Amino acid sequence: MLMFTFVTKNSSSRHASRLLTCGGPCTVSIMSVFMDLNLIQNQTEDRSGLKSLIETAAHLGFSTVAVNYVFEPTTKKKQNIPSPTPINELIDQLPIVQGRSRPIRVLNRLTIVMSDSSHYRPTAAEYRRFDLLAVYPTTEKLFHAACMTYDVDIICISVTEKLPFFFKRAPVNGAIERGVAFEVSYSAAIRDATMRRYTIANAIALVDTCKGKNVIVSSAAEKRLELRGPHDAANLSLLFGLSDADAKEAVSSTCRSVVLHAERRKSAGGIIHTTKTSPEETPPTPDDRDAPAAKRAKPLETE
Amino acid sequence: MRRDADKEEAAVYQRVVRKNGAPYHYLKTHLVLEDESVRLSAVELKLFIISGLKNLYGEVGAALTFDLLKYNEDTLSALLRVHSRGLVKLWSSLTLLGSFQGQACCLQGPAGVSVPAGAVRKQS
Repeated sequence: MLMFTFVTKNSSSRHASRLLTCGGPCTVSIMSVFMDLNLIQNQTEDRSGLKSLIETAAHLGFSTVAVNYVFEPTTKKKQNIPSPTPINELIDQLPIVQGRSRPIRVLNRLTIVMSDSSHYRPTAAEYRRFDLLAVYPTTEKLFHAACMTYDVDIICISVTEKLPFFFKRAPVNGAIERGVAFEVSYSAAIRDATMRRYTIANAIALVDTCKGKNVIVSSAAEKRLELRGPHDAANLSLLFGLSDADAKEAVSSTCRSVVLHAERRKSAGGIIHTTKTSPEETPPTPDDRDAPAAKRAKPLETE
Repeated sequence: MRRDADKEEAAVYQRVVRKNGAPYHYLKTHLVLEDESVRLSAVELKLFIISGLKNLYGEVGAALTFDLLKYNEDTLSALLRVHSRGLVKLWSSLTLLGSFQGQACCLQGPAGVSVPAGAVRKQS
C-alpha cells in the first residue's frame, strides 16, 4: 500500500506526499535501502517460483533479498547441508529494483532448525558457502546458547506455534551486544488466522524483552502473493509493538547491519581502529580553547 | 497489467515537510489475484476490506470508517481515504489480507513504491 497525503486542495493537480512515520508528524531521516532477508527456496519446486519471487521483490522496492535454504537435521540419519545454487544459474538477468535503477542483490542464507546442540557445528565448511547464517532454536537452552555463543547472524523466532519458552533479558541483551538480530517473519500471519495470533503474540513478547532493538521483519514467502512491500512490512511491525523508527529500521538499517555482521563473520573477524596518540600533532583549535575545560579534548598522557 | 500502468504515469518528485499531521490519509492500493480474470465491484471490494478489518480487529475494527474514493474495475486499483487515527489499523489489515474467496490475493501499492520519505508524487 502506498500512503498519500494530499497537500493541495485542488484535486486536479494530484499532489501527494508520503510520510515516513505513520499517522504522526513527518520526520525525515537518512534511510538505507530496503531488504528482505528471507525468501524461501522450495526444494521440490522448479526455479520459476523463486524467479518470480525475486522479480516481485524487486518490483516492490527491495534492494537486497536473501534466498533462504532451510536445513532441519534429524537425529536418525545423517543429512547433507544443502548447498546454495549460484544466483546466475537461477536467473539470467537480475531484475531492476523499482525506483533505484540498479539490479537487485541476491544473497544466500542457511537456516538451521535446531532441536539439539549438536545440530550446529561451528567449524563446518558447508556454512561458509552461504552469505548469511541463521538458527531457529526450539528450546530455551539452545536459545540461550545461540544468543550468547553461536557465531550466527540471525536468530529466528517461532511464528507458527505458541512460544515454547520465555525470552529472558540476559540472553537477549547478550545477542544485541554481539550484533545478532532476531527475525520475525510475517507470511505465516497472512496464510492463517491462528498463525497470525501466534506471530503477533510472540513478536510482542520479543519486542518487550529487547525493547525494539535488533529486530528484523522479513517475509518468509514461498509464493509471489505472500510478499508485501517494505512500507507495508514496516507498518505491520507497528503491530508487533515496535516504534515508528524501529519499524522502519526493521526493514532497512537493521538488515544492513545483519549483512555487514555476516561479512565480518566470513572475513578474518574484526575491524581495526587507528587513532593518533601523540598530543603535539593536534594542537587545540581556537574553538577548543573557548570551550569549558570539561568539554575540551583531554591531552593524552604519555608516560 | 501493473507494468503498463507504470509506464503511463511518469512521476516527478519533490520534497515536502509537514509539521502537523494531516486529518486524512489516502491509500492507493491495487488488488492482485491469482486468477487474473476475476473482476469485482466496488461494493464487493469494500466488503472484502471490512471483512479483513473484522478478522484482525474484531467488531470495533470493522466499525472503522473509511471511504473508497476511486475504484477502477479493470485494473482493480482503488483509492481509500481514512482518518489518520485509523491508518495503522486499516493498512495492517490490508497487508494481512491473503485470500479472496479461497484464492490467494495480495493488496499492493502502485508501481514505484520505493519513494523516499517525504517526497511528493506529482502525476501528469
